[in-house]
Amino acid sequence: MAKVGGWRGKTLRVNLTTGEITSEDTLEKYKDYLGGTGIGYKVLWDEVPVGTRAFAAENMLVFGVGPLAGTGAPSNSRTAVTTIWPLTDPDTFVGSGHMGGHFAAELKFAGWDSIIIEGKAEHPVWLSIEDDKVKLKDARHLWGSGIYRTTAEINAEMGPTAQIAAIGPAGENMVPLSVVINGYCHSAGGVGGVMGSKNLKAVAVKGSGSVNIAADQKDWKELIQYALTLIGSNNQHVVPSTPQPWAEYYDPGSRWTASKGVYWGAANPPVETGFCNPHDVHKIGLRCHKGVKDFGKDFGGTYTVRMGGCYACPIRCFAQIDYPPLEGKYGYSRYIANTCMGWFSPRQVFHEFPEGPEGELKAREAMVLGSHLVNDLGIWDNYALMQKVFNYAATHGMLEKILPADEYKSIPWELWEKGDPAFLLDFYRRIAYKEGVLGKDLGDSTLKTMKKWQIPEDFYKKFKWKYWKMGHPLHHSVEDSGQIGALINMQYNRDSQNHSHTNFQNSGLPIEIQKKLAAKVWGSPDAVDEKGHWTPMNRYKAKAAKWASIRKELHDSLSLCNWMYPWVASPLKERNYEGDTALEAKYFSLATGIEVTEEELDLYAERIFNLHRALTIMEMNTRDMRDQHDTAPDWVFEEGPEPFTPGSNRFPREDIEKAKDYFYEVCGWNKEGLPTRETLERLGLKDVADRLEKAGLLG
Amino acid sequence: MKEDKDKNTVEKIAEVIGVNKPTSRRRFLIGSAIVAGAVYGSSVLYRQINIAEDNNGNKRVVILKNAKGVLVSDPTRCVGCRRCELACTEFNDGRSSPTLSRIKVARNLNYGPQAVQLGFRRGHGKFGDFLVIQDMCKQCPHPVPCATACPYDAIEAKPPLNARVVNTEKCVGCEICQRACPWDMISFDEEADKATKCTLCDGNPQCVEACPTGSLRYVPWRDLTKDFHPRQAGMLAVTEECDICH
Ligand code: SF4
Ligand code: SF4
Repeated sequence: MAKVGGWRGKTLRVNLTTGEITSEDTLEKYKDYLGGTGIGYKVLWDEVPVGTRAFAAENMLVFGVGPLAGTGAPSNSRTAVTTIWPLTDPDTFVGSGHMGGHFAAELKFAGWDSIIIEGKAEHPVWLSIEDDKVKLKDARHLWGSGIYRTTAEINAEMGPTAQIAAIGPAGENMVPLSVVINGYCHSAGGVGGVMGSKNLKAVAVKGSGSVNIAADQKDWKELIQYALTLIGSNNQHVVPSTPQPWAEYYDPGSRWTASKGVYWGAANPPVETGFCNPHDVHKIGLRCHKGVKDFGKDFGGTYTVRMGGCYACPIRCFAQIDYPPLEGKYGYSRYIANTCMGWFSPRQVFHEFPEGPEGELKAREAMVLGSHLVNDLGIWDNYALMQKVFNYAATHGMLEKILPADEYKSIPWELWEKGDPAFLLDFYRRIAYKEGVLGKDLGDSTLKTMKKWQIPEDFYKKFKWKYWKMGHPLHHSVEDSGQIGALINMQYNRDSQNHSHTNFQNSGLPIEIQKKLAAKVWGSPDAVDEKGHWTPMNRYKAKAAKWASIRKELHDSLSLCNWMYPWVASPLKERNYEGDTALEAKYFSLATGIEVTEEELDLYAERIFNLHRALTIMEMNTRDMRDQHDTAPDWVFEEGPEPFTPGSNRFPREDIEKAKDYFYEVCGWNKEGLPTRETLERLGLKDVADRLEKAGLLG
Repeated sequence: MKEDKDKNTVEKIAEVIGVNKPTSRRRFLIGSAIVAGAVYGSSVLYRQINIAEDNNGNKRVVILKNAKGVLVSDPTRCVGCRRCELACTEFNDGRSSPTLSRIKVARNLNYGPQAVQLGFRRGHGKFGDFLVIQDMCKQCPHPVPCATACPYDAIEAKPPLNARVVNTEKCVGCEICQRACPWDMISFDEEADKATKCTLCDGNPQCVEACPTGSLRYVPWRDLTKDFHPRQAGMLAVTEECDICH
């Protein structure tokens, strides 16, 4: 091994209680966990006692970044912020929020692989990292400020290139439903309050160094160029959304929304996205017009200035909107950027908008205005579950009883009823500042609030974006990927944050091709079903579910984006649409100089996945993970037409139990869902096996 | 500027820029013949004329033959992915480093060239109107500020494109060129302890090849110094009279 590339070799540790700042050898201590969520889980396992609550000073916070952050491996620079998650009840479970942007890369340029934060500062501070100059600075002048101003103030101090991850008033006030945001709109959900509980206003990084590529630069370039022939659009959708001359297939659901006549209309002059033939590398960045996807062709096409996104990612999934009325009407900047739920969740605060074009416009104004408010105040939406709970309670006359009369009256209901976006100014303020019962409850763990408000059964069935368990909604579950989705949604203590399966399921290719690709990766075409045409569980689906799960951890640990990877499929007809599932291993080998095969790198990922499992088992303190933790909500079994009939997302209970059986089997866990000693030792986790055994929780 | 110039032209330039004393002229003719000749051969021996002081305090004149190519951009298409910076350093230097990159996006990404200030919402960049402005070397015509400032004659026009290139044999890492470039386009390679700048990658610029939106172009050289505001004060003025090579 000539030189190790990728990693910078040092991990930063900051003790907020003592003010001590130290450096650790990344490779010596954390190499087996890669970085990202891997280092996060490892630190929690080693150092945070079971039962520690989210906002306790003993909780730790790991800004985990991996060896590929800062390299040219496409779509990197995700930071995994791992901690004890404040949104479960009790708040004693491992969880992580993930943010893109340019923060992770900048941390690497500053010479650091990850940041471990412990303790609690006496008064508000921010962490300033300028290469090896690391300081805790007084943040009392920033406390109370929104994220926009905080970021600008720190940039004024450190220079415009610093990347700043800050919390807003919501985080300061320890609102469990709060975020940390870097680069204007890249948020990590759920962890803002943990920062607030530690009196940590922001982490700011500026680096002047390099991330080395161990391999010869020609080989690296060849690999990158090869990878860029296989990349799809956002979520690795590999066909366009409309028929196009170069494309054999199209799928209206695809995020490959570029087309003739589809513009970044607010650019000066407007830029036409056009047909983006996959062989034209200079059009990769135009493929995903998320403005059109999220706002529709008229509004999105007219007001999008360009697409933005993360470091080194040629697929831009953040629509950057210039909507002038925001200024005059609402007093916020006309410029606003976000993606997906960042737009949709504010809109879902409303029960309805007036019919017709006026209402449509209001809905869109709610999206852009609400996005500013949550970006600046630092509020999370729990994938809009919070908005749905509010909406349900409001439309069912529950709030009149729940809220004190004065408070109820002080809410501008007439705005809400008219679908007037101005309602959001009041709504989000209450949450960020924990005002009254409404503000406090909505910002709290959604699970607690649902219990407290006695949200009835039918709520759980009513909404498209449904409740799953432990206070979180589904995230690409049965409705998306059948039993694979169910298994994935059972594993985590928050929504699963996994896109490995959905990216493939929704690639846009016809099912015959999908089946051929599935056979190559998981050994049988039966590993994938046509969406909505689910078939009974089989072992290959369990294999695919395990693969998807460990790849999620792999991406979160290497700092690749799981919203893009893995690439089972590609847009290339000449390859029969085959992607390359060994890409991660190829990047890793060339970047770090540590040669690994796909299977070897998957072992790292499996280790990380099992460490998360072990943490969860300790925190659950039960041998019965199967029934206590790995659960699916009742609607999976009860709602919809007969199981296995076209269009039905309903599954028989036995089938889901069988799915667990097979899944545990391929994972090397026992019937209760506990990893066996053999499995843990195979993954180099003997100490984990020992501790689980001592606690009586080994499989 | 023509490929070959007669002595008169050189004399005229020397006159215009105020180093017309016979001793200085002789010094230039002899000095640059050796320097340039050693590097590029006799066909380009006129190109090295210093106007600033050399390391011994002697006045010299530097004239570099015009470049043949230059990078231009269309910022409306730039999505701020920084794959150009990556290509510049990963494929040329084997490491990823935005500060080393000779195309500069990071510094304008958040707030635009004006950096952060009150009212940043009305500026450029992610925190403003979203416009991302890429900064590239303009391959300046005479008087080339960076080359002129270098006391070691280390910035040369490298044939066949005549890109202004740092000759690492000569560069001592004094960073004076960094201060001289009005557009702040000289990078510093900390590992080599040398200045480094855009070389046009011998005609196949890595950044252009890498840009996923076609925002960058490599085009025949034209004088961009006239089209762009400097990022900061201190630009070396090109006088009206200096019409010989502009
Ligand atoms: S002065 Fe600056 S812009 Fe002009 S050639 Fe030198 S580095 Fe390039
Ligand atoms: S590669 Fe192109 S789009 Fe990306 S930052 Fe550079 S110029 Fe902009």
